Amino acid sequence: MQFFEQILNGITLGSIYALIAIGYTMVYGVIGMINFAHGEVYMVGAFVGLIVMTIMSSIGTTLVPVYLVVMLLVAILVTSALGWSIERVAYRPLRGKHRLIPLISAIGMSFFLQNFMQLSQGPRPFAVKQLISGSFNITDDFSISYMQILIPVVTLVSMGLFTYFISKTKLGVACRATEQDRRMANLLGINTDSIISVIFVVGAALAAVAGVLVSLYYGTVRDTMGFIIGIKAFTAAVLGGIGSIPGAMLGGFVLGFTESFASAYIGGDYKDIVSFVLLLLILLVLPSGLLGKAEIEKV
Amino acid sequence: MKQSFIDAIFATAITFIMLSLTIGGLIEVNGIETGIVARPWHVFFGCLIVFITQLLRSQLLALLKAIGCLFKKIAKIEQLTEHAIQLKGSDKFHPVFLLIILFCLTAYPFIVNDKLWIGMFIDIYIYILLALGLNIVVGYAGLLNLGYIAFYAVGAYTYGILNHFYGLNFWLALPLSGVTAALAGIVLGFPVLRLRGDYLAIVTLGFGQVLVILLRNLGDITGGPDGIGSIDRPTLFGIEFSRRAKEGGIPFHDFFGIEYSSIAKDFFFYFLALVLVIFTLYVIKRLIKMPIGRSWEALREDETACKSLGINPTSVFAGLAGCFFAAKQRHISPESFEFIESVIILSIVVMGGMGSTIGIILAAIFVAILKDYSQDLQEYRMLIFSLILIIMMIWRPRGLFPVTRPFIKIRCKDKKVDGGQ
Amino acid sequence: MLFDLSKRAIAIFVLIFAFSSVSFSADKIQIAVVGAITGPVAQYGKMQMDGAVMAVDQINKKGGVNGKILEAVLLDDVCQPKQAVAVANKVVSNDIRFVVGHLCSGSTQPASDIYDEEGILMITPASTSPDITKRGFDLVFRTIGLDTQQGDVAGKYIINKVKPKKVAIIHDKQQYGQGIAQAVKDQLDNSSVNVVLFEGVTKGSNDFSALISKIKGLDVDFIYYGGYHPELGLILRQARERGLKATFMGPEGVGNKDISAIAGEASEGLLVTLPADFTVDPANADLVQAFKDKKQDSSGPFVMPSYAAVQIIAETIAQTKSEDPYVIAKAMKKNTYKTPIGAVAFQKNGDLKEFKFVVFEWHSDGTKTPIN
Repeated sequence: MQFFEQILNGITLGSIYALIAIGYTMVYGVIGMINFAHGEVYMVGAFVGLIVMTIMSSIGTTLVPVYLVVMLLVAILVTSALGWSIERVAYRPLRGKHRLIPLISAIGMSFFLQNFMQLSQGPRPFAVKQLISGSFNITDDFSISYMQILIPVVTLVSMGLFTYFISKTKLGVACRATEQDRRMANLLGINTDSIISVIFVVGAALAAVAGVLVSLYYGTVRDTMGFIIGIKAFTAAVLGGIGSIPGAMLGGFVLGFTESFASAYIGGDYKDIVSFVLLLLILLVLPSGLLGKAEIEKV
Repeated sequence: MKQSFIDAIFATAITFIMLSLTIGGLIEVNGIETGIVARPWHVFFGCLIVFITQLLRSQLLALLKAIGCLFKKIAKIEQLTEHAIQLKGSDKFHPVFLLIILFCLTAYPFIVNDKLWIGMFIDIYIYILLALGLNIVVGYAGLLNLGYIAFYAVGAYTYGILNHFYGLNFWLALPLSGVTAALAGIVLGFPVLRLRGDYLAIVTLGFGQVLVILLRNLGDITGGPDGIGSIDRPTLFGIEFSRRAKEGGIPFHDFFGIEYSSIAKDFFFYFLALVLVIFTLYVIKRLIKMPIGRSWEALREDETACKSLGINPTSVFAGLAGCFFAAKQRHISPESFEFIESVIILSIVVMGGMGSTIGIILAAIFVAILKDYSQDLQEYRMLIFSLILIIMMIWRPRGLFPVTRPFIKIRCKDKKVDGGQ
Repeated sequence: MLFDLSKRAIAIFVLIFAFSSVSFSADKIQIAVVGAITGPVAQYGKMQMDGAVMAVDQINKKGGVNGKILEAVLLDDVCQPKQAVAVANKVVSNDIRFVVGHLCSGSTQPASDIYDEEGILMITPASTSPDITKRGFDLVFRTIGLDTQQGDVAGKYIINKVKPKKVAIIHDKQQYGQGIAQAVKDQLDNSSVNVVLFEGVTKGSNDFSALISKIKGLDVDFIYYGGYHPELGLILRQARERGLKATFMGPEGVGNKDISAIAGEASEGLLVTLPADFTVDPANADLVQAFKDKKQDSSGPFVMPSYAAVQIIAETIAQTKSEDPYVIAKAMKKNTYKTPIGAVAFQKNGDLKEFKFVVFEWHSDGTKTPIN
């Protein structure tokens, strides 16, 4: 039965990675940079969720769905503003510069956000009240907790909305056009600068959803939570083929499964190593990832 | 004016959204209850700062530019004077100048004669050692190695482990640390150097993380999260710098027949670090002039060429620094080698001007003071480092004191290759 | 260049002087109180600081020691060995001769190396690892018990009262956590209780779902955790959510109200070994009231030991009329002190002659009741 439980763990973990990986893959697809601060956006989302939750419980809200919806919406709002600002302040002035320059700036931004949150709330974990508890007990030693159902469901809904946005709406088409060829899109009258902003905002919103869900699932929020998960989500994006949105989703789930099984059958100590080794292998053996298109390197 | 006012209002509104639910509410844990305390003033001042800077954006930009020009002038003067103090017809420094500097640095600990001040310079020397090595990788070769601190860890743990299990002394371990760090550099270099710039950065970061995880988990060898303690201090020709000598050793105060004073070992470490820094400076100076140095510079200009050359030699310096660190601290644990340390070293290189040795030294002094000796700014130091990274990238990506070697500006079709700054 | 350099040099030295605030005064006796002021286990640091500061205040109110006032210098080591070494060096360079700390065993160990060599007296009110006093140092003391004593209490309780069929032992791989976990494991192995899992978790991680599924698969009915509350809180919560029904037990590092904030209902019934509750001792009533007046909680496990540590230093200075750590250490090993943690006498290695751990049952509202 442990096997099935680990599959469930993998799905839950994978959903989170997938949500964050989309942000990485879109930004990389459009402006070719690793948005190192994306993991911190997720962390800020989790903190906002916790603060909103605390405010609501002090007002005396009791309905769980109300909590969920308000937390998600407010977190999305705040991180959208954050995503927009990050791009505007730290990345836009560097457009067209050498690859490493925006990357260093992004590392700076990542540490800035982490320390900003640390200074404003304190460098320690904060407990998140248990909003949804309990589980379906299928057999004696096999159970599915409600959170493990909620997370994939919310993830699927967000991804559905996102896929609709990217494939059906005008803005989404403009995003895809920008991704395929920024200069051409610009020539065709698309304001690529604002499209890039939109991409950052959408990526940040998805990261916020992940942040809120994780804080409810694990029950803790802290300033350093974004760093490792950010790198792992990036690994997921590379795994699926960076620049490819379905690839990011697939990569997230593959990584989630790998980690769950690694920590079950190799040992929990080494589960972080697994993802880094996976990243290295993928980059060396299959740099275009599972679903990515082979990149033609301009020399 | 009107446009900038509207912009400022917009920016302030965005700031308000961001701040009100992050810094605006302080989560307060009281027993098992979590409450929230509103902090309207934090939000207000945050918004005010953004409003004013936005309103005066053009003026501030002009100011930054003016400061930038000033720095450029300073850098130019520096280069001219560098020529003046160099021997004619070669790139060697004038021996008199070198002697003056060396004399000042030798006299320094005797003048201050205080643990705090000597300790500070020892820290500065460690940072200089590390930054000089990373400077070659990033500044000269243009390879962003985010796992540089891993080599430092390899050096430190080489001495720590060899001393703990085999009682190896510092002087034997020092070259070994350099060798193991170089080996780590080669092992990492093989797969990694095939990768492109930003992937290389992430993979080196991953390498650093994997190493820290291994240090944490291989408890039998590395001591796990607690690290390795009670590492032996180096001795000077068999003289020990501690209160009680180990078997067969002589404590220095018995040797000289004086009262025990713990400051003596600070003097010892000071000069040891100074020697290491001078050695490193010398080696790097030679390397840069050698064909390999030229090819490093070529690397920076051409990304694909980096596949052909290693980053390994520079890891030696980090290994030596790590060995010294282990000997000085007498205790090493994985936290000393986290990613954040790589970022601090990176910010030294970025600030000092990639490729500029003097800039690196000045930046190392600044960072060491800010990091460990600024008690009032203690909490804000990482915030300051991160802001430095961002601002430097936007304002002066080549550092405060960039080196301008003879270059030709090439304007590509695609991107601007700018050698000046 | 030279002109330029000198200008820069001046600027740098101004910076140095502006930033460093070294205070030195002859009519003060400085005591460094070192623990985690920030970080995940800052709650324990607060207990320690509260206790020490209270002692310093009360002693100063009575006129100080030998006509000098005490000054508590609060320093933060975040419970990291690395910071501990840095802080210890700071203590050395500021010429402070007495230390109450550190908090976590993993940081006390390397710091005590430095204190011993530099001739600084250290009393830890919180570190329970036996290794700390094993190295024959003259100046290292503690006002708390040992992991071996604690493991003994826990082990006996598990064997005699709980009588589990299968036990899993988890730890955080640190000196304190792994040490106590090992002590408990040795006890259980000796009386042939079936320990089916002995595994480390990474400090600071938050996803234990894979571990919990694994434990569920092993059909375990008792789990001992060696470590601190942030991780155990999450394990408890995630285990309860996944329907893992087993009794949990932990050392004093988990006995913190925060565990109930993290784990909620799941913390009900957790077993914890803690020092006896000193606040119920009638002799401490005034002191407990003094803490209450300052709106501080005196029931934490390290508040009173920390108070006692400061008190012992002050009393010995007054008695010996000396501020030489070696003289004081010598006197401390002869004396008996009446402190809020009871009568205190030290063994030759600096450990207490007597210290009692008690098994408590933890409740989800953050309170605890002693068992026996």
